[in-house]
Amino acid sequence: MLKRIKKLDVSGVAVGDIVLFLFFCVAAENFLNGYNFILILRNSCTLLVASIGMTLAILVSQIDLSVGSVVSMSAVMVAILNNAGCPLILTILATLAMGALVGLINGILISKFKLDFWVVTFSTMSIMAGLALVIADGATVSTQNEVLDFIGNGKILGVYTVIWITALVCAIMILVLKKTKFGYNVYSIGGSATVAGVSGVKVVKNRTMVYVLSGIFSAISGIMIAGMTNSGSPTVGNEYTFSAMAAVVIGGTSFDGGKGGIVGTICGTLLLKILASGLSLMGIPSTWQKATIGIVILVLIITDVVSEKRKNIKGLRRVYQDVD
Amino acid sequence: MAMNEENVILKMTGITKRFPGTLALDNVHMTCEKGKVHVLLGENGAGKSTLVKIISGEYTRDAGTIWYDGKEVNFTDVRQAMAAGISMIHQELSLLPERTIAQNIYLGHEPMKKGLNAVIDYKKMVRDSRELLEKLGVDLDPNIQIKKLSIAQKQMVEVVKALSFDVKLVIMDEPTSSLASREIEKLFEIVRKLKKDGVAIIYISHRMDEIKCIGDCVTIMRDGQYIDTVDAATVDLDVLISMMVGRKIEKMYERNYCKPGEVVFETENLTGLRFRNVNIKVRAGEIVSLSGLVGAGRTEIAKAVFGYDPIDSGKVRLMGKEIKRPVPIKSVANGMGFLPEDRKNEGLILPMTISENMVSACLKKIFRNGFLNARKECEIGEKYVEYLKISTPSAEKTVGELSGGNQQKVVIGKWLETGCKFLIFDEPTRGIDVGAKSEIYKLLDSLTKEGYGILMISSEMNEVIGISDRVYVMKEGEITGELNRGDLTQERIMHYAIEGKERINA
Repeated sequence: MLKRIKKLDVSGVAVGDIVLFLFFCVAAENFLNGYNFILILRNSCTLLVASIGMTLAILVSQIDLSVGSVVSMSAVMVAILNNAGCPLILTILATLAMGALVGLINGILISKFKLDFWVVTFSTMSIMAGLALVIADGATVSTQNEVLDFIGNGKILGVYTVIWITALVCAIMILVLKKTKFGYNVYSIGGSATVAGVSGVKVVKNRTMVYVLSGIFSAISGIMIAGMTNSGSPTVGNEYTFSAMAAVVIGGTSFDGGKGGIVGTICGTLLLKILASGLSLMGIPSTWQKATIGIVILVLIITDVVSEKRKNIKGLRRVYQDVD
Repeated sequence: MAMNEENVILKMTGITKRFPGTLALDNVHMTCEKGKVHVLLGENGAGKSTLVKIISGEYTRDAGTIWYDGKEVNFTDVRQAMAAGISMIHQELSLLPERTIAQNIYLGHEPMKKGLNAVIDYKKMVRDSRELLEKLGVDLDPNIQIKKLSIAQKQMVEVVKALSFDVKLVIMDEPTSSLASREIEKLFEIVRKLKKDGVAIIYISHRMDEIKCIGDCVTIMRDGQYIDTVDAATVDLDVLISMMVGRKIEKMYERNYCKPGEVVFETENLTGLRFRNVNIKVRAGEIVSLSGLVGAGRTEIAKAVFGYDPIDSGKVRLMGKEIKRPVPIKSVANGMGFLPEDRKNEGLILPMTISENMVSACLKKIFRNGFLNARKECEIGEKYVEYLKISTPSAEKTVGELSGGNQQKVVIGKWLETGCKFLIFDEPTRGIDVGAKSEIYKLLDSLTKEGYGILMISSEMNEVIGISDRVYVMKEGEITGELNRGDLTQERIMHYAIEGKERINA
């Protein structure tokens, strides 16, 4: 078991999660109870699903800045279409299609036309954020739909629907990355696009696919938000892009690409949410929480990097002694 | 040369390839036969790699025709060439360090589970890899990550990867450059076996001894042009060299040895990440070379003494003064200059002008009260353009537009301006064409006359033998031998580099 955890390469964050969890159990009243635990999980869902798309993008050593505004756009779109009397199933499909389309545009511009991924995804981020504001007329759109509410706030077998959805998405993507050709290609392209290319991997197609998936996951996240809040706010996803990037990188997926995965992102997201929950239960004023979160993340990352560096130097020496 | 038309698998005529600013291939032709090893010979920049990348579909040609396996073909990407049975072993390792050996061997053509179209059968992949590794006599576990292997082991995995599907033509781009003799023998066995199976092989190498050993015929290229194709068994090696270089090799190296002066640079039991117990001494007026195989730790020593990489223990002395924990700024202040191998990224700022690059290591000189003295910058630039005979209309030209040789001269000028007395050259002539090479050698020679001490790291044997006063040979992080000018031969250097200390007396 221990060996398996080490193999996952996320031991650092996982340990960080546990340490923080234990710390808050002692330090924060009401932290250690089942309800709070489920609350943390439930609050993690929307960010986690969005972060999975970001994980894919970072795995191929790129970034999808449009994640957050696709989340907002999706929430708004669900609310407006629902208010317009569109059947929920069509609403959801249309929203997913919108996410996929934004991803496709990102992907084609970046992979096929070799435009810079920063510029492209920054532009689509801006476009989608702006359009969300336009169609929502700058304000939150409330909406009512039983099924939508069930998606956001209902339970199946005593567990929130959003948790089921998130668990399903995570499980599928873990398998996809580990077992399928597409998953292999993602790691190969991230490791070195040149090497992958000369070995016969379809780099353009797979990179495009990564952005399409990222768009779809952002849309799923937005749909869940619309369900949880029974509304669509054009600014609800504003912090998602950077939070997702943080969750992914804290989870050990490197910006160099080709290294890391979904399990790390789950740990990273939980870390952010445990921190937020613990700090507010400790009674730290919300004004101070942001700064505190930043400091804690820095400390954790520095410890992780230092230990990793030590391990690497040892590894180098070992390689070199093996040669003798 | 007589060819048996029936056996021809690949025939190329009139291949031309243009890159921005250079004509990489000019009307080249070549014919390969089944079961034969066709050696492609030429200096760096002769166009060998470009030619084989056109065959493998990585580059597209601008003109010319290729017949392969009886048909005219036009591969536009690697997959098509792979499907047709063309495989390539790359010069720079093309492996993914984070993935396992099995994942790398089957990269791009992973075996799928039956019935499940997109799911990879990892077990089969490992099984097949193990079989393949065994068949080719490579003793490695396919589950190991590539980053845990030595360079020679990686090279062998690269070979296995290239043979992991049905091949008719294998291209090997300097496959032995980082192998020790034992592995080279293993590779040659594989090559002989492939020949027996009727596979055609294009073999690029710099090692003359290999040509006679496994080659059937040799095509020589120079400056992107086809020179000749000859029979490997009967050709005289000196003739090959003169065809490759285009003139007699003696003229290349001009060296007026002078009596060495004071010690300018010295290390004592220096130990770092990839080297240990290194003792090197360089005196004023000397060119001292560090020789050895790629990955022996030569560049790592240079980077450590200059202050890029950390030093674990041992001492570094510059002009007799001990430098504790070297960092680049301290090294420069104490008279050291470093000319890196990757001069386009580490030695120069390509979008800046010659003058701006010249002063980039001594900015203090051109700033007065914090403001740039543009006239002084120009003067310095012009001074070195004249002194180093850099061919450019003006010192205000961008460095990126210069040829490799002239770029190297700019790096030299940059260090001379700092007033240093000791220079480390890492691969001083890599990527520089033949004519400019001899100019660089002349320049090195004149620097020693003026009392500079030079430490040169070079993989080109001729260069090491041609201009060095002394040579230290390294193997796997240790200095295994020191040779004086009189004792320098290719055989002796290779002995120390491959066999180490012990075997040399045997």
